[in-house]
Amino acid sequence: MTSEIILSIENLKTYFFTKKGIVRAVDNISFDIRKGEILCIVGESGSGKTVTALSILRLVESPGKIIEGKIILDEDNLLELSPHKMQDVRGNKIAMVFQDPHSALNPIFTIGDQVSEAISAHKSCNKEDASSQATQLLELVGIPLAKERYHDYPHQFSGGMKQRVVIAMALACHPRVLIADEPATALDLTVQAQILDLFLELRARFEMSIIYITHDLGVVSEIADSIVVMYAGRIMEKGGSRDVLGNPVHPYTKGLMGCLPSEKGIIIPIPGTIPGLINPPAGCIFHPRCVNALDICRMERPPMTKITDEHYVSCFLGGVNG
Amino acid sequence: MAKIIEIENLRKYYPVTRGFLSKKRGDVKAVDGVSFFIQEGETLGLAGESGCGKSTLGRTILKLEEPDSGNILWRGRDITKSRKNQLKEFRKDCQIIFQDPKSSLDPRMTVGNSIEEALIIHDIGAREERTRMVGELLLKVGLTLDYMPRYPHELSGGQQQRIGIARALAVNPGLIVADEPVSALDVSVQAQILNLLMELKTQLKLSYLFIAHNLWVIRYISDRVAIMYLGKIVELADKDELFENPLHPYTVALLSSLPGSRNRKVLRGEVPSPMNPPDGCRFHTRCEKKLDRCVSIEPEMKEVGKGHFVMCHLY
Amino acid sequence: MKLAAYYLERLKGNKTAIIGLAFIIFLVLTALIGPFFTVSPTQVNFSEKNLPPIGFSSEQSEYSAKVGGLVMTNMHGTWKHPLGTDGMGRDLLSQLISGARVSLLVGLLATGLAIVIGAIIGVSSAYFGGIADSILMRFTDIMITFPFLLLLILIVYMFGSSLALIILSIGLTGWTGTARLVRSETLSLRTRDFVIASKALGASDLRIIFYHLLPNTISSIIVLATLSIPGAILAEAALSFIGLGDPQVASWGNILNAGQNDLQAAWWIAVEPGIMLFFTVISFNFLGEGLRDAFDPKGDYN
Repeated sequence: MTSEIILSIENLKTYFFTKKGIVRAVDNISFDIRKGEILCIVGESGSGKTVTALSILRLVESPGKIIEGKIILDEDNLLELSPHKMQDVRGNKIAMVFQDPHSALNPIFTIGDQVSEAISAHKSCNKEDASSQATQLLELVGIPLAKERYHDYPHQFSGGMKQRVVIAMALACHPRVLIADEPATALDLTVQAQILDLFLELRARFEMSIIYITHDLGVVSEIADSIVVMYAGRIMEKGGSRDVLGNPVHPYTKGLMGCLPSEKGIIIPIPGTIPGLINPPAGCIFHPRCVNALDICRMERPPMTKITDEHYVSCFLGGVNG
Repeated sequence: MAKIIEIENLRKYYPVTRGFLSKKRGDVKAVDGVSFFIQEGETLGLAGESGCGKSTLGRTILKLEEPDSGNILWRGRDITKSRKNQLKEFRKDCQIIFQDPKSSLDPRMTVGNSIEEALIIHDIGAREERTRMVGELLLKVGLTLDYMPRYPHELSGGQQQRIGIARALAVNPGLIVADEPVSALDVSVQAQILNLLMELKTQLKLSYLFIAHNLWVIRYISDRVAIMYLGKIVELADKDELFENPLHPYTVALLSSLPGSRNRKVLRGEVPSPMNPPDGCRFHTRCEKKLDRCVSIEPEMKEVGKGHFVMCHLY
Repeated sequence: MKLAAYYLERLKGNKTAIIGLAFIIFLVLTALIGPFFTVSPTQVNFSEKNLPPIGFSSEQSEYSAKVGGLVMTNMHGTWKHPLGTDGMGRDLLSQLISGARVSLLVGLLATGLAIVIGAIIGVSSAYFGGIADSILMRFTDIMITFPFLLLLILIVYMFGSSLALIILSIGLTGWTGTARLVRSETLSLRTRDFVIASKALGASDLRIIFYHLLPNTISSIIVLATLSIPGAILAEAALSFIGLGDPQVASWGNILNAGQNDLQAAWWIAVEPGIMLFFTVISFNFLGEGLRDAFDPKGDYN
């Protein structure tokens, strides 16, 4: 894909300063997202994928802190903006959808009010305008009988419908980047498929860029244009969807795919568990679980190595296709 | 092969009331007339979306919930009406492992004590004997003896799940109800636990009722698979038969909504409330192939192929 | 790591809680060994009546045989009675120490009794549910609606005022909060998987209650107990203050009661037990709050 880069993250580090020590939740990661692209951040729990999303919106809360790096949107470094300007970016240029739709909606307001509130928060428009736009948005995200249901309260909606309302709120100001943090994980399989379709439709319709965070490689294969594989706060591999899934280079990416049954119905688990992030292993953070670890992996952190123009891997075995 | 458990027309309703001394407002029909059996050494996968009653079913056949009607036959004995003190042997033979590994262990007990409790309840072994057995169980589930004095909060989810499995194995059961045992775990750990369960099954000749919403997990571990929708089993067949040749429109839709499946068809709408399930076939509100009689007449379970049962008017 | 050690480590970070704990330890030690070092609290000596504490002085009229009438003298505190004496020349320091014994005894025993009753009622109510729950909780509601102090006064008025009776009545009326707390915690615990796992293993109800449910509510019970000790202490003091305390013992409330008449001439008699009550109550509160934070699983950060 060759469309323009819309958001780029450079050397981002977000640490949590806890009593027990410094947790390197996001440790020096860089990636870009292009216009109209769906980028999937794949990782298990503790991989730092949610912290990455929160860092982009500067919503990391104490004891967490963004230590260094750049987040560049429209030539502005978001990390240098004043809090006031940053507020303007949130919702207007970048919006976020969270995993749990139940806690994302306020139970004491109607869903129509909540969507129109999201519209008038950033745009000066009168009440009727806001409410007619809200109805349109609810229709857009596939709420049946949107006009009638405008005055319903969240508890009258199912989980999947609530998630659609949350997505409508995120779309209120036509953001250029939509960050979705496991938006379908809490939902049933059939509803999850509906939500995935909705994201594909939104991308096609608005040329919106979507950062989709998930742990599910099945979902990734369904919607991703490009993929960032994260493990323990670092990027292991990144590139186009076809490259990463079709020709995975990093042992962790391969390992993740081995955890899904192969055509012969075999699962090969990755041994061990994710390391603690307070005293992470030296060198490559994956080496204690890696079957191919070399001596150098225990001592040095592997640099990002280019495999093709669109495909990078952080592994000393990179390029060597073993 | 002998049947380790067989249930006939099992029902479990939860009354919905509001407040003290108030009238009943209706029933949540969590399990509404379900029949199946599990043979020794067999894994029956039970799949369905949330709220379909699969967890309640798992707990009801273990008599952790009292069934409202129907029969539970354990190794040929009817235990539906048995009281607590008559169930000791049954409790030893039928165990459960849970979805949330954190909640399945008592946070104030060491790992060793949690496992040992199973032995104490059934008066197995003297103290040293029990410690030795706990050690063996830990090794069996892929942990080491150093875990014995640790507390659950010091362990990862996968390790906690292994402890839960060790506790279930302590009494040497024949059947384990596994209620979504991997869905709370990370993908790489899921695979470890699944393989552990598979190994234990062949090693100890266990039977599983394996409850999951994740179809690839079901496909991987099961011998036969049952699909549940709104309190009823709508299709039951050998694993390969069910995945290659699904018949019920709900099964078809469920399989096609799997990410990465070839001819993807997204099922419209959502599961109706189990308090007021639709008349006739419960799936008719979302079914693309519905016939006139589906709206009013509830279909019967029919055997359409060898061991392939389906509850649908189309067959 | 043992859980107790882990919580103690977390409690250490909380300064006010440690100050509270230190004061309570100091109080307990004084109450235990203090009486061996001080004069008897009941020893009357009219020649040393109404002595002010060390560092204070007060003008008092005194009968002088020389003059054959009342003279005004300026009295100074002496080291013999560092906290002064009362109107009968009894040493206030030893009275306060004896009062500390009474207060701690009342606080610990009454609260202990209340906690045991409350825990049993709360846990059975939640665990057995259904009708048992309804009946026990309605009973608890009824208990709560009785005005606590009035009930105490009634009991003491009807049955006389001995310390044992006072402890018993505070304990028998003070369990409602514990019952509610233990019930609500048990309600959430009993659906947890480890309880179901125990049931699936065939554990008896008693085993589940004593091995799983109660131990898991113990941290909240400790917090609640620490926070309700001051209530029991104050209740006893209040009863004594209005003259319904046990006349046989020198409790802080009794001293306060006795001192209120002499507030002008000898302010220290009423002020000193007041100060002790204040610091004791606030120490238990500090410690209770600290324990609550230490037990709170969310406190891992910062």
